[in-house]
Amino acid sequence: MKLTSLAGFSCWCPIYIALILFSLPVRTHAFPSAFNLQQYVSGTVMDESGLPLPGVNIVIKDRGAGTMSDENGKYTIAVQDTDILIFSFVGFKTEEIPVKGQTSINVQLEEDVTTLNEVTVNAGYYTVRERERTGNISRVTSEELELQPVVNPLQALQGRMPGVSITQNSNIPGASGTIRIRGRNSLRSEGNLPLYIIDGVPVNSSPITSSGGLLSISEGIYPLNTLNLSNIESIEVLKDADATAIYGSRGANGVILITTKKGREGKTDFNLGMYSGAGRISKKLKLLNTPQYLEMRREAFINSGETPTESNAPDLLLWDPDRHTDWQEELLGHTAFITDIQASVSGGNAQTSFLFGGGYHREDMVFPGDFGYQKITGNFNLNHTSANQKFQTTLSVNYGIDNHKSFNDGLFIQKAILLPPHAPSLYHADGTLNWENGTWTNPLSYLKKSQEVDTDNLVTNAVLSYQLAKGLTVKSNLGYTNLHSEELTKNPKSSNNPASESENSSQHRTTKRQSWIVEPQLTYTTTIGNGKLEALIGTTFQKSMTHVRSITGQGYAEESLIGNLAAVDEQNVLFQEDTEYAYTAIFGRIGYQWKRKYFLNLTGRRDGSSRFGPNNRFSNFGAIGGAWIFSEELFIKKKIPFLSFGKFRGSYGTTGSDQIADYGYYDTYRPTRGTGGLYPTGLANPDYSWEVNKKLEFAGELGFFNDRLMFTASWYRNRSSNQLVGYALPAITGFTSIQANLPATVENTGWELELFSRLFQTDDFTWNTSLNISFPKNTLVAFPDIDNSSYANTYKVGASLNSVLLYQSLGVNPETGLYEVADTNTDGRYDFEDRTVVKDLGQKYFGGVQNTIRYKNLSLDFFMEFVGQDGRNTLALFRPPGRNMENQLPGVLNRWTQPGDQAYMQQYSITSTANMAYERAAGSDMAISDASFLRLKTISLSYRIPSVYTEKIGLNDCKIYLHGQNLWTITRYKGPDPQSAPAGSLSYLPPLRTITAGVQLHF
Amino acid sequence: MKPRYNIALLLSILFFMMSCEDFVAIDPPNSRVVSDVVFENDVLAITAMNGVYHQLFQLSNFAGGGIHSVTVLGGLSADEFQLHNTLLYPGLPEFYQNQVSIANSHNLSLWSSAYNTIYNANAVLEGLETSQGITAPVKKQLEGEALFVRAFAHFYLVNLFGDVPLITTTDYTANALAFRVSETDVYKQIIQDLTTAQKLLEDTYRDGERTSPNRFTASALLARVYLFLEDWENAEMMASEVIAAHDLYVLEENLNAVFLANNREAIWQISPVGSTGQTYEGNLFILNTPNNFLTPMSLSNTLVHSFDDTDQRFADWVGILPQDADTLYYPYKYKISFTTEAPSEYSTVFRLAELYLIRAEARARQGNIPGAQEDLNHIRGRAGLENTIATTEEALISAVLSEKRREFFAEWGHRWLDLKRTGRAATVLSPVKPNWKPTAVLLPIPEAERSKNPNLTQNEGY
Repeated sequence: MKLTSLAGFSCWCPIYIALILFSLPVRTHAFPSAFNLQQYVSGTVMDESGLPLPGVNIVIKDRGAGTMSDENGKYTIAVQDTDILIFSFVGFKTEEIPVKGQTSINVQLEEDVTTLNEVTVNAGYYTVRERERTGNISRVTSEELELQPVVNPLQALQGRMPGVSITQNSNIPGASGTIRIRGRNSLRSEGNLPLYIIDGVPVNSSPITSSGGLLSISEGIYPLNTLNLSNIESIEVLKDADATAIYGSRGANGVILITTKKGREGKTDFNLGMYSGAGRISKKLKLLNTPQYLEMRREAFINSGETPTESNAPDLLLWDPDRHTDWQEELLGHTAFITDIQASVSGGNAQTSFLFGGGYHREDMVFPGDFGYQKITGNFNLNHTSANQKFQTTLSVNYGIDNHKSFNDGLFIQKAILLPPHAPSLYHADGTLNWENGTWTNPLSYLKKSQEVDTDNLVTNAVLSYQLAKGLTVKSNLGYTNLHSEELTKNPKSSNNPASESENSSQHRTTKRQSWIVEPQLTYTTTIGNGKLEALIGTTFQKSMTHVRSITGQGYAEESLIGNLAAVDEQNVLFQEDTEYAYTAIFGRIGYQWKRKYFLNLTGRRDGSSRFGPNNRFSNFGAIGGAWIFSEELFIKKKIPFLSFGKFRGSYGTTGSDQIADYGYYDTYRPTRGTGGLYPTGLANPDYSWEVNKKLEFAGELGFFNDRLMFTASWYRNRSSNQLVGYALPAITGFTSIQANLPATVENTGWELELFSRLFQTDDFTWNTSLNISFPKNTLVAFPDIDNSSYANTYKVGASLNSVLLYQSLGVNPETGLYEVADTNTDGRYDFEDRTVVKDLGQKYFGGVQNTIRYKNLSLDFFMEFVGQDGRNTLALFRPPGRNMENQLPGVLNRWTQPGDQAYMQQYSITSTANMAYERAAGSDMAISDASFLRLKTISLSYRIPSVYTEKIGLNDCKIYLHGQNLWTITRYKGPDPQSAPAGSLSYLPPLRTITAGVQLHF
Repeated sequence: MKPRYNIALLLSILFFMMSCEDFVAIDPPNSRVVSDVVFENDVLAITAMNGVYHQLFQLSNFAGGGIHSVTVLGGLSADEFQLHNTLLYPGLPEFYQNQVSIANSHNLSLWSSAYNTIYNANAVLEGLETSQGITAPVKKQLEGEALFVRAFAHFYLVNLFGDVPLITTTDYTANALAFRVSETDVYKQIIQDLTTAQKLLEDTYRDGERTSPNRFTASALLARVYLFLEDWENAEMMASEVIAAHDLYVLEENLNAVFLANNREAIWQISPVGSTGQTYEGNLFILNTPNNFLTPMSLSNTLVHSFDDTDQRFADWVGILPQDADTLYYPYKYKISFTTEAPSEYSTVFRLAELYLIRAEARARQGNIPGAQEDLNHIRGRAGLENTIATTEEALISAVLSEKRREFFAEWGHRWLDLKRTGRAATVLSPVKPNWKPTAVLLPIPEAERSKNPNLTQNEGY
């Protein structure tokens, strides 16, 4: 399949449709015959609350004759006395009523909660039926998540939700990824985090920053790692104004709702699951061998007119030229074993139910040595309803502790790739590290600088509700979170070059985050006319406290003592920061539905946040959403019978973002590290205010053939203005940024398409397939006077925020042998004024295809993720060939050697001139190439052991499976991983190719 | 809805409305001090001024003495150093080869840290101006110190970059779009700041340590400024003022004492206290092992060969690391490369020897041959050398400048600045720097800065 065009994907659709049509049961309609008309029956069909149900199918059993209820739920049908009427309606239980001489039959249909259409989705403060929602909410359930051998729950979502782009640059277990819901709204790269809510409690999702090392490459540890993937019931992502406006100032970047599993009434159910497997890095680069490398270095010296010396070229003069080591294999090629065990027990009765569970996960890293990640999680859920059904309470506790053990070298992966192929051996014969007389830095020395991060994370929530009167419920949500992370980085003397002076030291970093939330709410439900009204009003009080402290200890007498601050000579607190964030709001919602066809949803919120100065603390947000289920209209039902579901919906509203640093409006001084000093922390602006994000969405949802084929298309346009930025300033102002509002407007617009079909559906064989694809587009719509601002050379009006401005490459100059770029303004110098080529490194499209095929007890699931994008190619990832003691890709062999040569690579050289020429080329359009990819993200084959066998050993259910993660990737990208190509760095660990085998038991 | 619920609802909303304003008002964090508070009393205001000096001792600061400092980058630009391992610092060869790129991070660091220093000084000045609670003597003292620091940073900016923005306020809205100001105008402001500082500062050191400037420090910088502006008369006068302060300053007889904390030759020092036990100079220059990428430079052969056999400075201030191929020489003015003890050496910015050499040159330029010889011989004598044999104006100037090279190598880019101001950069450097271009006397305005401030122009040749 060719990735650059969509032809490949779109050609699937007709095939699916054809398959569906082919597999449809042949259905013939019999029409009532003219004879045997003996009597008429008429009546009204209603739902449980007494509202009329239009469009209900009423057929006579065994005769096929039928009619449909009208606008007001009324029907009339000709029957014989012995006939039985069948009332059927999507979403309701089918009712059979014998005529037996009646002339009037009024029916109240009972809602059927089991059918697909009646899936309720969590909208945060309220729930809504999937078919009736007015907003855009995507949902992923536990089945899609639980088998994946990943630490970070986000990683499991990659490609599964339209409009939700998840990029994992570094694949170190536990490292943070980047999530963007409908693109980048803020000019600030750090102002685009969605709001995370676990069981009603907002959780700070910003990475726990690391003081250095492997984790700092990806900004740090992801705070939700300690959540047990297997305990997640569903993840909902709220995207449009209708869904997010109730979150007001925090909804601009979308909202992620994580719901954990709940206890269910019934027989006590024991659940045990485990898997185990192994992974290796999915891609190693092919690099120069020793003769090629040596030739490159020698040629570089000759071209530069320099003589290699022992100082500047130990690789040429001192090292053994006959060695050859595959350093990637040696340093990144180890097998990472994975083990995961889950157990839970649930049960209860109609009044009280519980779920109690725990899990253990461990995975190794691919580096030599004892590095890895492990976590232990525990969860508890208790639900209770009073006998009179008026009082309800739910308690959820999620607790996890994890340990991440790696080492303090963020550039280790890059170093492993760049190490010359004949670099000395790692160890001396006596087992000590080989420093080759100080001519290199032994890569293993970095591994001796161990770094451990221990985190424990508690998220608890209690919901109490009491029904005051019919339809009126008072409810309160109480939440508490507590995260504590300790990072210890050891720097033993033996890890440093023995020739340089050093001592045993350690670095300690503590992060504590605590928050509580109280949200009293009132809900009211009533029937008005032919419609149902739901109203909600509530308030929020939330406080978060953050504590970060970094300490160094120096002068441990013994390496074994490192980490124990009591054993240090000197202890320094590098910094300590305690911050507080207070947030309060009043919010409300009115939802009205009329005749089950027309839906209106109004939401609003007034927010106050301590992150703003006294003049700008409060702001209002709100949205209106509407939906029309046109398939409920009688004329549609009659004219297009194969259309089982059809809905238009739309919404418009405002949300905000207060994702800025705490205390930003204060003009403050901070103590210096040296004693007795204070220094200004930055420029202060007391007057900045909320960023406003206006969201507009229209969508159509269609279901065909009894919803066997479902299609959704959404179009959205989000415009965020009053951009709150760390406005970049030239350093002549003393600092490089100021918090301010810009009159700039950023627009994110796009299409999201989803297709779901149950291709085959028989007792023995089912095949479900779903596809989602998003076409996002990001534009900086307006930026008054950008040319006179500090953004003049970073962003272009009309281009995407993901754009980069580049030189125009002219390739290698055949005369000089150096790269050249166009001097666009012909002023004789190369600077930003010449960087006129605009390349968008944002994703052009992304999505995924999921297939679930089951034949009897055997099922096969596979999921493919695809992304269309450009990225930085290997020219940008590597440095000029020959200049440093660094290995290169074989592509550099095609280099310029003499005047007249037409070559891809400039001459090998160690000069600064050549370096600058290379740097400019690396900043030109030559360094950008296609980085689209199609990845078989997950595939699993499972077998459910037939109950005849399982019952004999007392099992209710037993499933065994094989699971593969990232098994193959199709891409034209030459670097380590196309996914991280837009960021472009050799320091990212490519994803692991992992195979696991597991078993799940119920008893 | 029954009435009692309505009332409950109403009450709770009212409660909310009243309490929420207070709920989201939070106190400033315990890790910071709000600036209004800083300038409310003497103690905190002094702390803020000390903070300015602490910030100078940063690895990234132009005055820090480390890899981004004037000492290192100026020395590389001139003929003081050679590089032997640039693995860790690929930006350094650009200075050595006088081909600094517009994206060079060391160059950006020089520029940014100097302006950050200026901001810090301006913030103190503005804080003092609006403050009510500070006593008059403290206010006077701190104002003088801040003006001195501002002039000090502008001095290096104008010498390294030529025309530069002149920043005298903390108002970022104005500063963000500041234009470059002619060298003449920058110097005018420097002189004004320094002469005011002279009036405000006391002769004594504020807290006994030579880490906060006194009046003589302002005079010392002013002497240098006049020398650079070829105002020989004033240069001599300012230098004399400092030299005459015998109670405070004498040339240390023992060369190994010249960089110790609060030694008698030191006029102004930057203290590593609280940050590290050693100076960045000691840490960077002292070579323990060949080819260590942490210590990428050593002294150039031309500098090493310029020393007389009997020059005591070569014995005391130059370290030797024998190697297989050729011996490496390194600056050994600072003796401590690494320690966890409390610092015993401070990074020295101004010391008395410079004033003697300033006055020697100023006197020679004015035809005062005996006066110039006398001053020069103070320095030569201390180094164990015979008196100068130069007798003409021309010869004396040349003797002073080469003495200065040997006296101040690896200190504050003296050599680079002197070569430029005397117009000898091209003659001296083009033989040793194959890529030398006349435009290399000024560093490029960092591209990152130009891209954020459209009013910044670029220097010739970049």
